[in-house]
Amino acid sequence: MISTGISGIDEMLGGGVPNGSWVLYSMEPGVDGQLFMISTLFSAMRDGLSCLVVLPHTTFDIFKHDAAKKRGCSLDIFNNKVVYIDAADRERIQKSSKKPKEIKKKWEALIEKVCNEHAVEVVFLYIDLLYDDLGLEGALSVANSAKTTSKTTAIVEHLNLEGKRSINRFIKKYSFDLIISISSAFRSQPHFDYFTLLHTSWWPVPKRSVPFIITEGKVVPYIPKIVVTGPAHSGKSTFVTNASDFGISIDRRDTTGDPTTVAMDFGWLHWKDFDITLYGTPGQTRFDPIVPNLLNHAIGAVLLIDATTPQALERALHHVQLIKDKHLPMVVAANKADLEGTMSASEIRKQLKLSKDVPVFFISATRKADVRFVLESLVDFISKSKY
Amino acid sequence: MYNFKSGLAQIDPVSGGFEAGSNFLVLAPPMSFAEELAYFFTKPLPGEYAVILSTNDRAAGVIDAFKIMGVDKRYVGTIDAITKSSTPGIVDTSRLMFVASPTDLTGIGIKFSKMVELIFDGEFSDGESGLFPPPIRFCVNSVSTLLMYRKLEVLYQFLHVLTSKLKKIDGVGFYLLNKESFDDKTISLIKQLMNGVIEVKVEQNTHYMRIQGMKGVSSDWVKFSVQKGQVVIIP
Repeated sequence: MISTGISGIDEMLGGGVPNGSWVLYSMEPGVDGQLFMISTLFSAMRDGLSCLVVLPHTTFDIFKHDAAKKRGCSLDIFNNKVVYIDAADRERIQKSSKKPKEIKKKWEALIEKVCNEHAVEVVFLYIDLLYDDLGLEGALSVANSAKTTSKTTAIVEHLNLEGKRSINRFIKKYSFDLIISISSAFRSQPHFDYFTLLHTSWWPVPKRSVPFIITEGKVVPYIPKIVVTGPAHSGKSTFVTNASDFGISIDRRDTTGDPTTVAMDFGWLHWKDFDITLYGTPGQTRFDPIVPNLLNHAIGAVLLIDATTPQALERALHHVQLIKDKHLPMVVAANKADLEGTMSASEIRKQLKLSKDVPVFFISATRKADVRFVLESLVDFISKSKY
Repeated sequence: MYNFKSGLAQIDPVSGGFEAGSNFLVLAPPMSFAEELAYFFTKPLPGEYAVILSTNDRAAGVIDAFKIMGVDKRYVGTIDAITKSSTPGIVDTSRLMFVASPTDLTGIGIKFSKMVELIFDGEFSDGESGLFPPPIRFCVNSVSTLLMYRKLEVLYQFLHVLTSKLKKIDGVGFYLLNKESFDDKTISLIKQLMNGVIEVKVEQNTHYMRIQGMKGVSSDWVKFSVQKGQVVIIP
């Protein structure tokens, strides 16, 4: 097996990629996903495998510098051999002929020669310019020329400008063994990237998307965070508990003997392809200094209010401001709507100075269906929200 | 809806400026002050930001052009596709980012997203923040260069993504294209991605421009000149 260099992905794949596989990292434009291929390269080098890197778009010295910058260490630390075919080779080939067929043959001959001479075990191919020069079929035929033995593994990075259509072609027509798409929820704020395991030929992995962050030169699968906040006794702990597949609440009895959250509520649920983590903030003013920290790195917020207690809205306004300061998409859940004396939506909107695009839902946090509806609406709102 | 002022007294009072989320093709022959015109429209006003994708000039040259217009360089970011080929070790900063070459569409896309993200996160201008959401003016100082290196179909798809992203963040974009170097099919394909066209021509040493696709603005040719980066319409 060859490690992808990303432990979370290796785990999903049952340890890595079988030798001799075809792997595709398909990147949406704008997503910072180059570290996926670079991580696999570093991993192969670390494991002592002989590697060839084909870079028609750049020179090997720029590539080495960028890879070192992204990864935080140089490829030169490994003793085993890595060979490069780069933009200079492309230029030479382009100059030698104008006919695509001849150009393709020259590429194939060059790659085959290098692979044989250096007993290459893993080939890393940046395919975009070859795609321009030779078409997809031609580019992949060039990649295939690197597979001088059945054990040679080919890792291809591709800029996907065509979306699903292109991915389907790679799966159906070109028999890739592993396809990982790397995408970005390109919204202005907050912004997150995610990868999706789209296809594996040897291991039954369900199609799923996992957000990731890049930290200290590594791709780290990332669990998005939704914060549930609001005044004390608005029902946040009940909300988090009923929303979650698994959750805990850190409660103590207050002076009146009722339970109150003293640290935070924590819950986890799986919705569509995302694992979502919920953080419920404590509502008492003495915990205010930690609330902005709990909102850090969140992708959305639920403001929970007690719809029967107008006097708590002033306190809720403080939470609205904290959420606005972080520019987070927000929904308001007006809890205890099953009780007498609930405020109207317009009253809540006016008191909380909510803009028209912030949804207000009347719910009972004791009802799982209500709670899930609010969360699903928030996730939907996050994916459509511009700011 | 935010409107980006053009800086021209003949345009702003009648149209309010360029609508947020719109993209304009600047179609011009060589040596026609088209770059100066595009930079003039990209010039950030207080509270705004500018991002320039430079495919034919080093970042230093771009920044100089904006300095001449009196722009505070803290609000201008450049994605430089030229310098790195001669200086492989050059390091990115918040406002200066480098890609290997104009062929590197992957790198260009990543650096564009990164720069926009930094602006939105307030980490672009040394702690100085403008409006939120930040109004961003974007300029590609030559689509012609990109077309020289990449296939039209590929570039069309790439520009489609870029113009859509700009629309999504409510920015405004200006894309320079040399109209004498490409056939009608190429130009009309690129036009499909735009909301308007700013066309430039030169006749007997006089520069003319016309703007098509901007509400309230006549699409008649008007004379203009450029002095120290400032565009002046000549009555």
